[in-house]
Amino acid sequence: MPAPVGVILADDLDPADARDIARLVPDTPSPYHGLNPLTKAVIATVGSIGAFAAGGYIGPIGLNLVMLLLAFRAGVLGQLVRISLLLTTPIAVSVVLVSVFTRAGRTVLFEIGPFDATVEGVDFAAQTLVRLFAISLSIGLFVMTTHPRAFVIDLERRGVSPRVAFVAVATIEAVPALVERAGIIGESQRARGLDTEGSLRARLRGLLPLIGPVIIGTLTDVEERSLALESRAFSRPGRRHLLWAMPDAPWERVLRWVLLAGLAATAIARVSGRI
Amino acid sequence: MLALSGVSYRYAGYAARVLHDIDLTLADGEIVGVVGANEAGKSTLCLVASGLAPGSIGGGLTGRLAIDGVDMKGRPLHEFSTRVGIAFQNPATQLSGVSGSVFEEVAFGPMNLGLPARETVERTKAALASLGIEGLREREPRRLSGGQAQLVVIASLLAMRPAHLVLDEPTAQLDPEGTRLVGEALRRLAATGTAMLIVEHKADLLAELCRRVVVIDAGRIALDGETAAVLGDRRLVDWGVEPPSSVRLGRALEARGLEPGLIAGSTA
Amino acid sequence: MTTVALERVGFVYPDGTRALSGVDLQVTPGETVAIIGQNGSGKSTLVRQLDGLLRPTEGRVLHDGLDVAGVRVAVLAARVGIAFQNPDRQIFAGTVRREVEFGPRILGRAAEEAARAGAAALSAVGLDELADANPYDLGFSRRKLLALASVLAMETPVVVLDEPTTGQDARGVRRIQDVVARAAAAGRTVIAISHDMRFVAETFDRVVVMGGGRITLDGPPADVFAEASWPVLASTYLEAPVAARAGARLGLGSTPTDEALVDALAGAARSA
Repeated sequence: MPAPVGVILADDLDPADARDIARLVPDTPSPYHGLNPLTKAVIATVGSIGAFAAGGYIGPIGLNLVMLLLAFRAGVLGQLVRISLLLTTPIAVSVVLVSVFTRAGRTVLFEIGPFDATVEGVDFAAQTLVRLFAISLSIGLFVMTTHPRAFVIDLERRGVSPRVAFVAVATIEAVPALVERAGIIGESQRARGLDTEGSLRARLRGLLPLIGPVIIGTLTDVEERSLALESRAFSRPGRRHLLWAMPDAPWERVLRWVLLAGLAATAIARVSGRI
Repeated sequence: MLALSGVSYRYAGYAARVLHDIDLTLADGEIVGVVGANEAGKSTLCLVASGLAPGSIGGGLTGRLAIDGVDMKGRPLHEFSTRVGIAFQNPATQLSGVSGSVFEEVAFGPMNLGLPARETVERTKAALASLGIEGLREREPRRLSGGQAQLVVIASLLAMRPAHLVLDEPTAQLDPEGTRLVGEALRRLAATGTAMLIVEHKADLLAELCRRVVVIDAGRIALDGETAAVLGDRRLVDWGVEPPSSVRLGRALEARGLEPGLIAGSTA
Repeated sequence: MTTVALERVGFVYPDGTRALSGVDLQVTPGETVAIIGQNGSGKSTLVRQLDGLLRPTEGRVLHDGLDVAGVRVAVLAARVGIAFQNPDRQIFAGTVRREVEFGPRILGRAAEEAARAGAAALSAVGLDELADANPYDLGFSRRKLLALASVLAMETPVVVLDEPTTGQDARGVRRIQDVVARAAAAGRTVIAISHDMRFVAETFDRVVVMGGGRITLDGPPADVFAEASWPVLASTYLEAPVAARAGARLGLGSTPTDEALVDALAGAARSA
């Protein structure tokens, strides 16, 4: 898999070193992956907020289609759709149940007990679902096509403090570690007889012995890591000279402004009641 | 030269002191071992020598820590990092967690110093070479074995070019292969002139590497002297320290009325 | 009492990595067994089969001759207690006493029973005077002893210790050797994963060597650490303890422990 076209390498490197550094840059399996992280972040933002800024159905459905098309070009369509469905279905179910039955409306479709299912309720539920899916696709597409490190290095190049950038990426990369830790702790407590396969009540009662070690363990880890980082001058103020950075083409800069302007215009129009 | 003079320390939030009147010198290029029972103050000593106590964790320090003649009191932590590096026993929590490759992990420190990219790369290559791990440069740090990860940690510290290294039980959580890897790395380092303060329970390892050994007992230095003399001292047991195998076996033979010299040369 | 057995057990992780192949192991009451091998050889995967944390993908696990395939971990934990390597993965209570009584309470013992078992366990590891302390005010090595005590308090017929001596000083190691000996004397089975070869040779009747997911050697320390076995040990990146190596160099046969080496030298001196 090739490194992104035009990745910026520090300009004072030996050619041999430059080649070696280029090999360390995360792979970009598709042109979409190779876009600047900020561009992809703006696309995700416009996709999610835009879905709410636009009224009715056409806008949100259009955004969904755009995201699906981009995902297809990036080669992550199947995976993105699967994960989005997985994440939005639980929320969708509750949204549908609540909206269909409690939304004030006049045209009743059917009744269950004291609750009326109205056309207005179904309409509201459908609109909400479309927007939920748009958010999920937008953010999911960003996460799937952007390496956290590439994003953070880009932020740092734009002037974000290295320490803030570090915390941002460390937080993202900490999530799988947290899940793994919770699993290992669950194992230790189950080995002492804690029943995680039994009744719901038993499982709820068993939460405390799991939460404590997860929190303490995470805090201890954070403490140990911050001590180790000090030995690598982590808290030294000032900018750093990066070894590589993601390219940022002029047309991408234009695209970002156009998209954000479009979002702003849509929001204003919506708020002032025009759409 | 790293010198602790009359150093006492108590942790933040605690009234009792954990270190009392410590006088300890680490000369240029010297390798000194530290032994003692758990909770005797060995780890605290490491934190103080590296400036992390009180610099990062707070607490009360009295006495003086001087590195290369400079009093380090009140100095910012990043100034310590180019003079003394510290490695702990768990490799997983010492890796930054944000590097996709060993090369970038080792380059993290020099980059934080604001060095130009060219110099960062130079130092990183040199650090990897000094431990013989150039072959790991493109590997993902989180996928390494414990021993390999610990070598990456040490390389990351070396890239800061400190004259002194403090190692707090670097092999405690490693399997025998990892211990062997780190032991070999420390042997190589010993030849380069980096001064090292090594805390370990494995007396055999210290017997091989260190010119001098210090015994810590209840927060004080109980003994400070030439390695063979200290590790052969009969009071080690009282201080909760296991002597090296050769000493231990020699004593077992003596207890049976046999010549300790019977096993000479066989325990290497 | 329980005999635990693994019958032709194989295990493949969901991602396809094979961790165990054809493992046959039987342990009896009062037996002490050490499992050694490089990281990744399958030691941890093996012990997790014993209480159901992992289920075999091939073969069977038997407790007292009965296949435990459908039995919940919570039930098997009453027969096989595992003290894991990192005590901070299980300690959650505010005091040492509450932590050590947690296991017995969960298993359904009455309060007085749990208190008695807890006190006995704390005494066995030397923490009785710290019963009211907060576990996080104790150092790491004492927390490890606490985690061990918590499992001992469950009074399971089989006790499994995962790297019990890492982080312990000389006194701590001797304390653990004591705990193993007393548990075995009381008729329990003790299984330990360790990479401290001297501790293994001195403390356990039987040593199981693992490499590449298989058992490559299984026998008393005198056999496993004898010179003839060194190639097998080397293949899993292990070395025999110093006493064994010294004995071999001096031509004294298999001397896995200090005591055996001294005995052999005394014997050689006498016949000289």
